[in-house]
Amino acid sequence: MKKIILIFFPFLVFAQPNCNAYLYAGDTLQYKACILAEKADKYYQFQREFQEIFDEAIKISPNFAYAYREKSTAYLKSGDFLTWKKLIDKAVDLDYVQNLPYRAWCRYQFFKDYKGAIADIEKLDSLATYDIGYSINGDYHLNIVKGVCYSVLNQKKKAIKIFLEQLNTKSYDAGLYDYYQLGVTYYQIKDYKNALKSFEKQSQRNDIAENAYYKSKIYKALKNNQKYQENKELALKLYAENKKLQIRTRNILIVFIIVLLLVNKN
Amino acid sequence: MIRFLKCLFLFPLFVFSQEKEAKSLYPNFVGDIEFNKELDNENFELCFDKHIYQYFNDSNGFDYEGEKLAVENEFSKEYKSKIIPNETGLIRINFIVNCKGQTDRFRLIAMDEDYNPKEFDKSITEQLLRIAKSLKGWKGKQIKGNKIDYYQYLIFKIENGQLKEILP
Repeated sequence: MKKIILIFFPFLVFAQPNCNAYLYAGDTLQYKACILAEKADKYYQFQREFQEIFDEAIKISPNFAYAYREKSTAYLKSGDFLTWKKLIDKAVDLDYVQNLPYRAWCRYQFFKDYKGAIADIEKLDSLATYDIGYSINGDYHLNIVKGVCYSVLNQKKKAIKIFLEQLNTKSYDAGLYDYYQLGVTYYQIKDYKNALKSFEKQSQRNDIAENAYYKSKIYKALKNNQKYQENKELALKLYAENKKLQIRTRNILIVFIIVLLLVNKN
Repeated sequence: MIRFLKCLFLFPLFVFSQEKEAKSLYPNFVGDIEFNKELDNENFELCFDKHIYQYFNDSNGFDYEGEKLAVENEFSKEYKSKIIPNETGLIRINFIVNCKGQTDRFRLIAMDEDYNPKEFDKSITEQLLRIAKSLKGWKGKQIKGNKIDYYQYLIFKIENGQLKEILP
């Protein structure tokens, strides 16, 4: 159960801050800004009022990193990379612990900025004395994200090394798609033996259409027609069942709620 | 006289509220695209004037006939560019899809690799706009059984003039 909770930890970290924490730390300005920011709860992130409340909070405490990050979200979601970057940079400058992992993930996920994501993750790694943690949706450890980015940038060997280091970390339990990502990278350098091993591990852990699709491609290349057909059909079946790589935030939230219910039950 | 004084008293409040409205830095919703008669089709109709949703508000996300692959195929087929050094970065085109799946109010922003505003070569942006405007597979969306209009965007990752990826 502990492992499951850890996977969803980012959700807990990035909730509305506890305003009293600022008060206990003697930062009355951030406390006041934080209390004001609670008023934004009743507005949608895209609404004018939402933005204006956080502007007011920033006027009270220009160091209130959370406000910049909250303001940035609507721009991120609407693809306005120019405004998003200005706001999230400010949040990172003020509080890298909370915001640098988030910016790294967003650069990868929303803008396919692989170099930028790597730079952020490596910077975080150099600053942090703790595990650098997971993507905001809980799908990937940030080291796996770094591996994916290197893989896309065609540095396959480096990517594989990063994947294996993370997967061999003692305290680490493989994520939802880690072995799939490793398998794809092996596949791309035509190391079919290791690719199949990785895809098998992925199947055991969390079978998805893409995983079966790549297996079918390998068996086709190896001229094993029976296994090619089997995996092709499996890929179509999984796809029809919506067992795909991209799971939506709402599904994550549902799982998160279930986890919370289970924790409370136990 | 009393009436006059009342009016005199209320006048500054009226002026103040007008001024506050005018001075807001934001549209009603982040990313709102106002009609511009220089750019937009006057015959394009919104089905619901009061609010335009975002494409992900119905939880179905990107909703196109043939899924995203069909959009990628369209651009892959239509977009042609020679290699243009330093024409690298992201271009976002956003627009409205009305409840009938029709599109209009196309707007474009662009950045270089460091998230600075960038003006790309027109041969790139004009092509992307033309192809985006020609897409006919956008699906009308509904929320709680009501037809909606929504904002959709496409982000193009360009490297030296070449189209590398399309998001979201």
